[in-house]
Amino acid sequence: MNLSVLMPVFALMTSLLASVVLFALPEKGHRLRTIINLAAAILKIALVGVMIWGVAQGCKYEAAFTMLPGVEFVLRADALSMLFAGLSALLWLLTTIYAVGYLEDSPNRSRFFGFFSLCVASTMGIALAGNLFTFFLFYEMLTLSTYPLVVHRGTTKALRAGRNYIIYTLTGGAVLLFAIAWLHGLVGDLRFQEGGYFSDIAPSMRGPLAIIFVLMMVGLGVKAALVPFHGWLPQAMVAPAPVSALLHAVAVVKAGAFGIIRVVFEIYGLEAAKDMGLLAGLSVVAAFTIIYGSTRALYQVDLKRRLAFSTVSQVSYIVLGLCLLGPVGVAGGLVHLVHQGIMKITLFFCAGNYAETLGVHRIDELDGAGKRMPGTSVAFTLGAFGMIGAPPLAGFITKWTMGSGALAVGMDWVVAVLVISSLLNAAYFLPILHRLWFAEQCEPWPHERRWGRLETSAWLLWPPLITAALMLVAGLIANLPFSPLSWAELIVAREVAL
Amino acid sequence: MTLWLMAGLLFTPLAWAVLTLLLDFSKGRVVTWLGILVQVLVSLGLWAAVASDGEFLYLLGGWQAPMGIELRVDGLAVTFVLLTALVAAACGWHASIYLDPDKPWNRYFWPLFWFLWAGLNAVWLGGDLFNVYVGLELISLAAVGLVALGGQADALRAAIRYLMAALLGSLAYLLGVALIYGQFGTLSLAGVTDLVSNGGAQSNLTFPLILMLLGLALKTALFPMHGWLPPAHGIAKSPVSALLSALVVKASFYIAARLWLDLGGDLGGYALAQLIGVLGSLAVIWGSWLAFRQAKLKQVVAYSSVAQIGYLFLLFPLTWGVTDAISQQAQQGITLQVVSHALAKAAMFLAAGNLIMSVGSNRVDALAGVSRFLPFSLFSFGLAGVSLMGLPPTGGFAAKWLLLQASLASGQWWWLGVLLAGGLLSAAYVFRVYRASFIEATDTDQFYHPSRSLEVIPMILALLSLGLGLVAEPVLSVMSLPFEGAGS
Amino acid sequence: MFASNLLLLLAIILPLASLLLALRPDWQQAYRYCLPVLPLPALLAGLTLGPDASLELPGLLLGGLWGLNELRQVFLVLTATLWLAAGVFAVGYLKVHYLRRFCVFWTLTLAGNLGLVIAQDVASFYSFFALMTFAGYGLVVHEGSKEANRAGRVYLAMAVAGEMAILTGLLMAVQQADSGLLADLPAAVAQADRRWLIMFLLLAGFGVKAGLPLLHFWLPLAHPVAPTPASAVLSGAMIKAGLLGWLVTLPFGEVSLPGWGNVLVILGAVGSLGGAVLGVRHRRPKAVLAYSSISQMGLMTLMVGAALANAEYAGPLFAVIGLYVLHHGLAKGSLFLSTAMALPAGRSGQWLLWVLVALPGLSLSGLPYTSGAASKLAMKELLKPENFEFALAPYLPALMSAGAVATMLLVWRFLWVQRTAVGTGNNPVFMWLGWGLATISSLVLFWFLPWPREASVPGWPGSMVHSAWSLVWPILLATIISAVAWRSVKQR
Repeated sequence: MNLSVLMPVFALMTSLLASVVLFALPEKGHRLRTIINLAAAILKIALVGVMIWGVAQGCKYEAAFTMLPGVEFVLRADALSMLFAGLSALLWLLTTIYAVGYLEDSPNRSRFFGFFSLCVASTMGIALAGNLFTFFLFYEMLTLSTYPLVVHRGTTKALRAGRNYIIYTLTGGAVLLFAIAWLHGLVGDLRFQEGGYFSDIAPSMRGPLAIIFVLMMVGLGVKAALVPFHGWLPQAMVAPAPVSALLHAVAVVKAGAFGIIRVVFEIYGLEAAKDMGLLAGLSVVAAFTIIYGSTRALYQVDLKRRLAFSTVSQVSYIVLGLCLLGPVGVAGGLVHLVHQGIMKITLFFCAGNYAETLGVHRIDELDGAGKRMPGTSVAFTLGAFGMIGAPPLAGFITKWTMGSGALAVGMDWVVAVLVISSLLNAAYFLPILHRLWFAEQCEPWPHERRWGRLETSAWLLWPPLITAALMLVAGLIANLPFSPLSWAELIVAREVAL
Repeated sequence: MTLWLMAGLLFTPLAWAVLTLLLDFSKGRVVTWLGILVQVLVSLGLWAAVASDGEFLYLLGGWQAPMGIELRVDGLAVTFVLLTALVAAACGWHASIYLDPDKPWNRYFWPLFWFLWAGLNAVWLGGDLFNVYVGLELISLAAVGLVALGGQADALRAAIRYLMAALLGSLAYLLGVALIYGQFGTLSLAGVTDLVSNGGAQSNLTFPLILMLLGLALKTALFPMHGWLPPAHGIAKSPVSALLSALVVKASFYIAARLWLDLGGDLGGYALAQLIGVLGSLAVIWGSWLAFRQAKLKQVVAYSSVAQIGYLFLLFPLTWGVTDAISQQAQQGITLQVVSHALAKAAMFLAAGNLIMSVGSNRVDALAGVSRFLPFSLFSFGLAGVSLMGLPPTGGFAAKWLLLQASLASGQWWWLGVLLAGGLLSAAYVFRVYRASFIEATDTDQFYHPSRSLEVIPMILALLSLGLGLVAEPVLSVMSLPFEGAGS
Repeated sequence: MFASNLLLLLAIILPLASLLLALRPDWQQAYRYCLPVLPLPALLAGLTLGPDASLELPGLLLGGLWGLNELRQVFLVLTATLWLAAGVFAVGYLKVHYLRRFCVFWTLTLAGNLGLVIAQDVASFYSFFALMTFAGYGLVVHEGSKEANRAGRVYLAMAVAGEMAILTGLLMAVQQADSGLLADLPAAVAQADRRWLIMFLLLAGFGVKAGLPLLHFWLPLAHPVAPTPASAVLSGAMIKAGLLGWLVTLPFGEVSLPGWGNVLVILGAVGSLGGAVLGVRHRRPKAVLAYSSISQMGLMTLMVGAALANAEYAGPLFAVIGLYVLHHGLAKGSLFLSTAMALPAGRSGQWLLWVLVALPGLSLSGLPYTSGAASKLAMKELLKPENFEFALAPYLPALMSAGAVATMLLVWRFLWVQRTAVGTGNNPVFMWLGWGLATISSLVLFWFLPWPREASVPGWPGSMVHSAWSLVWPILLATIISAVAWRSVKQR
C-alpha cells in the first residue's frame, strides 16, 4: 500500500466520510457542520492538486480489487479523470460555501449537506473510475444521492420534478447496465485504456458493438440531457440553487458527458468508433440538441428554466467536440467540460442570489437589478458572455478550439452549428443583461432581504465572483500549462492516437 | 469438531427454546441474549472449521435415514448458517426492545423464536429429504405462531391462512418424498442423486420432483401462490416480519434449489425450467406492481418480498442445460440475492417498524415530514431499498450483475428484461416511500422517537447489505463449494 | 525595450485597472475625473514608440502578441486622441444620472478600442473587438429612453451577427494560415480554396462596424441617441475599427482581385452618395453627422476596393487610408462634440464658436490647407484610373468629386439644423477643453505628425495651390445647392 494506491482512495473518502459525519451531526450543529464541510472540501482540493501535479509528471495512481468474479473495482487517476476531478473538487468548495449561505435558517440542513457530500463523492468516483463497472457503480450512486437534493424543498412541484428525474435517470441507468453487462459478456472486464480496444475488431463483432454503443449513448445521454432524453433537466431546476448549480455544472449532466468521453475514447477508441460510423450519428444528435436547447431557452420566462435549457444546449458541445475527429476539436470538447461547469455554476449562483435576496424568479422582474446587486450582476454578465462565446472568456476558447478542429477535419457544418447556437445564446442572454443594467426598476422587489453593507450575504456573493473570475482567467491564460485548455491538449496527446 | 459444532447448531436452539418457555418475558430476554451470543460464536466456529477442513457429511447415530439423521455441511450451508445467525441475532435484539414486556403473550415470542432458529439450521444442515421436511415443519409452525402472536382477529386470520398454505405445501412435498423413497429406498439426497445419475433418467420420477417443487414453491410464495404471504408478513410484528421475509421463505427455496441442482439435470426439463423462470418473472413484475399500489407501509415491504423472491426462481432456467461455468455464475448470483435480500428486507421491516412506531400510523402517506424527524430509520429504509432496487454498490446489484451475465452467456436474454424492469419497478415503490417522507409542511408535528438501539439495528443490516456488493468476492469464496460439489 | 513593453501593456492595463474605481459608489466622482487619463499611455505609445514595438504574451489566450506598425500607429494616435478629447469633454458633460455605469462602459469600450489597435494576434484582436462592441451597447442605451433602447437593440443585433461573421471568417482564415497571428492571415486568405467565403464573411462582419451600406442601419439610430462624447468616439474611432479589421485581414498586396474591387467600389459609392441623400433629410444634427460618417466611410471603402483590386497599390493606398482615417476621425469627433456646445452670450463669442464648428466641417469637404485637403489630394493622386484595371476604375475621379459635393452638402445641412437646435448658455469648462482639444487637433495636430506628410503628395504644400480649384469647386457647388434649397424652404 504505497501512496500511489492510496491517493485516489483518499480523494474519494474525503467527501464520503464527510457525508457520513454530516449525517450523524445533530441538526443544530451548524458551525461544526460548516467547518467539517469546508475542511473536507479544502482537503480534497489539496489531494486532487497533488494528483494533478503527479499525473502531469507521469505518475500513475491506481487502486483495484476484485469485487465479483471477473469484475474489478478500479480507482485510477489519469489525465482525463483529473480534468473532471479537478473541476468537481474546486466547485465543491465554492458550492459548499454558497450553500451554507443559501440555506441559512432553513430546515433539514443535516440531510442536505450529507447528501450533498455524497453527491460529490459519487462525482469523484465517476471521475476516478477505472473501468465501466466502477463507473456505473458511482453513476447510479449519483442518481440516488441527488434525488433527496432535488426534492429537498418538499413541495409538490419539487416532488414531481424528483419523480421525473428518477424515472429518467434510473431507466437510463438500466439501459446502461444492460449495455455494460452485454459488453462484459462479449469481451470481459475492460479497464479504460488509452486508444480503446476495438481498433482491429473482427467484422462479426461490429454489429453487437454498434448496438451496445447506441445503448450506452442512450443510457449516458439521459444524464447528459441529450435530446430526447433531456426532459428531466428543466424540471429539476426547482431544487435549491446550490443544487441546481451543482447538477448543471458538475454532477449529473457532466457525469453523462464524462461517461460518453470515456466510452468513446477508452473503450471503443476514437478511430474504431468512427470506422463503425457511430460518431456521425452521435454528432447529429449533439448538434440537434445544441440548437434545440437554445431555441427552447428563448421562450422561457423563468430565469432558472432558461438557464436549464441553456445547459441542455451547452453540454452537447462536449459531445459534439468528441465527434470532431481531430486533436484540436476533441480538445475543444474536453475543455468545455470544465468551461461549461464554471460558467454555468456562476449563472446559477447568480440566479440563486436574485431569488434569495430579491425574491426574483422571472426574467421580467429583473429590471434594474444591476444597480441593487452589482457584484452578482457582474458575475452574471460575465457568465452570460461566456456562454455566448465572447472572448476572452472561457466559452470563447471552447468555441474557437472546436471551430478550428471542425474546419481542420472538414466538418464545416459544425461551425454553422456553433454560430447559430451563439446567436441564439446571445438572443436569450443579452435581453437579460439589458434588464439588469439598463432597465429602470418599476416595481418593488417581491421579497427583498437586506444584509447590512453588502448587496447580499457574503457567503452568497463570493462564490459567483470567484467562479466568474476563474472563467475569465481560464480564457485569458488558456495557453499556459495547467490551464484547462492545456490540460485538455495533454489528454488528447496522451490518450488519443490520431 | 465440525460434528459437534453442527450438533450444537441444531440442538442448542431447542434447549434455549425449552428454557425460555419456562421463563417470563424479561428473563427469557436475558436468556436469549446469552443464547444469541452462543449461537453466533458456534456459527462462526463452523465457518472456521469448514474453511479449514472443507465439506463434511455425517450420519448421526450410524443409521441411514429415515431413522438416522444425515447431516451435511458445505460452503453454501455455512453461508446460510452465518446469515441466519446474523439476521436472527439482529431481529432477536430488536425484538427484545421493541416488544412490550407487559403484554402477557409476548413471553411466547422467545420459544417460538428459538424453534424457528433450530428449524432453519436443520434445513441448512440437513442431508436427507425427510429431516429437511421436519425442519421445514418446525419452521412453519413456529412462524405461524409468531404471526398469530398478539392475538387480534386480523393477525389470527392471516396466521390461519398462512398455516393452510404451509400445510398444503408440506403435504405436496411429503408426497413427493414418499414417491422417491418408494423408488429408491433412501432419502439421502446424495444417495438419490447417485442412483438417478447412474440409473439414467426415469420418466416417472419427474412427477415426484414436480410435486416437491410445487410444495416448496407454495411455501416460498412463488407467483401465483403468493396470496398468503403479504397478509402474514404485513400484519406480524416488525421483528417477526423481518425474520419471516429474510429467512423463512428462503428455507423452502433452499431445499427446492438443492433438489433442482442435484436432480433437476436428469429429471427436469427445459420446459419446466422455463416455466418456473416465467413464474418467477411474473412474481417480480406483479409483486412490484402490487407493492407500488399498497397504502400501508408494511404491505409495500411484504409485496416487495413477493417480487424479490421471484428473482430467486431464475435459478431454475439459468442452471438447466448450461455449462458449469454459467451454472456456477447463476448460483453465485442467486446466493448473493438470497443473502442481500435477507439483509435488506430485515433492515427494511425493522426500519418500517420504527417509522410506524414514530408516526403512529402504518400508512405510507402518514410519513410526510418524517425525513426531518427520523432521518436515521428512514436512511436505513432507503439503503435497504437501494439494495432491493439492485443499484450499485449493493449486494442486490452484485446479484443482478451475475444473473445478467449468466442470462447473456446462456443465451436466455429474455431474463434481462425481467431483471432490468424488476429493478425499475422496485425503484418505483421504494421511491414512493421516499417521496412521501420528503413532503414538507405537515401539521402533524408529533413524532415519537424510538430508542437509539432500535434505530441502529436496521442501519447495521442495511449497511451490510450495501457493503455486500463491495465484498461479494470474499463472500462468494465462503461458498466456494457450491451446490453441485456438495452432491458428489 | 522594457519601457516600450511597459507602455504597451499600460495602454490596456490602465483602463482596465481603473475599473476598480467602480467598486464603491462614492468613488464615482473620482472616476469621472479619471476618464481623461485613461487613454494617455496609449497616446504616448502611439507618439513615441517606433513602428516595430512589440510585446509577446505567450500565456495570453491562444498566444498573444501586441505591437505596432505604421498603420496601427496612425490608428492608435487617432483613437487615443479622440478618446482623450471626448474624455475631457465627458467630465463636463456627464450628469450624476448613472454616472458609475457610464464610466464603466466608457472604460471598457475604450480598452477594447485601444486594444484592438495594438493586438497582433487573432485571439486578442477579436477579444478587444468584441469587448468594444458589447461595451459600446452600454454607451448607446445610456440615456434609457425608448428610442435609445430601440437603437441599442438594432445595434446589438447587428453587432452580434457581425461578430459571428467575423468569428467564422477568422476561424477559416486561421485554419488556412495555421497561425494565430494577424500578419499571416492575408497571405493565407489569398491562397484559400474558399477565398470568396472568407472574404465575404470578414467584409460583412467588419462592415457592420464600418457602416457599409445595408449594414449601416444601426449607425444613424445609435449615434444620435448616445451621450455626445460617446457619439464622438463611436463615429470617430470605433467606426474605424471595422476598417482596421478589413485592412489587417483581407489579402491586400498578395493578389489582385478586380472583382472584389468592383463590388467594394460600388458599395463605397452607394455609401458616400446614398448617405448624403438620406442624411440631408434629417433634422437632428447628430443624425446628419451619422450619415456623414456613412458617407465618409464610403469614400474609404472606395479606397479599400481599389487596394483589393490592385495588389501593387495596396501599400501606398494604406498610407492614404491612414491619413484619411486620422483626418476624418478627428474632424468628425470635433463636430459631434460641438453639437452639445451652447452658444455664448456675446455676439463675437458666437461667431467664434460658429467658425470653430464650421472649420472641421469644411476640412471634411477638403477646404485647402486643412487635413481634409491633404487627404483628398493624396487620395486623388493614387486613385488615378490609369493605375487600375478593374471595370469601374474610370469612374473613380467622378465618384470622388461627387463624394466631396455630398460631404459639403451634409456639412451645410448640419450647420443648418445645428443652428436651430443650439441654445445659449454656459458650457462647463471641461466641455470647452474637450471640444477645443478635438478641434485643435483636427486642425493642427495633423501637421505636426511625421507620417501624414510622408504619405501625402510630393511637393506639398505648394502643390495645393495648383490643385486648389479641384478642391474648391465641389465646395462651391454644394454651397450653391444648399443656398437654393434653403431659400426654397424658407419661402415655403
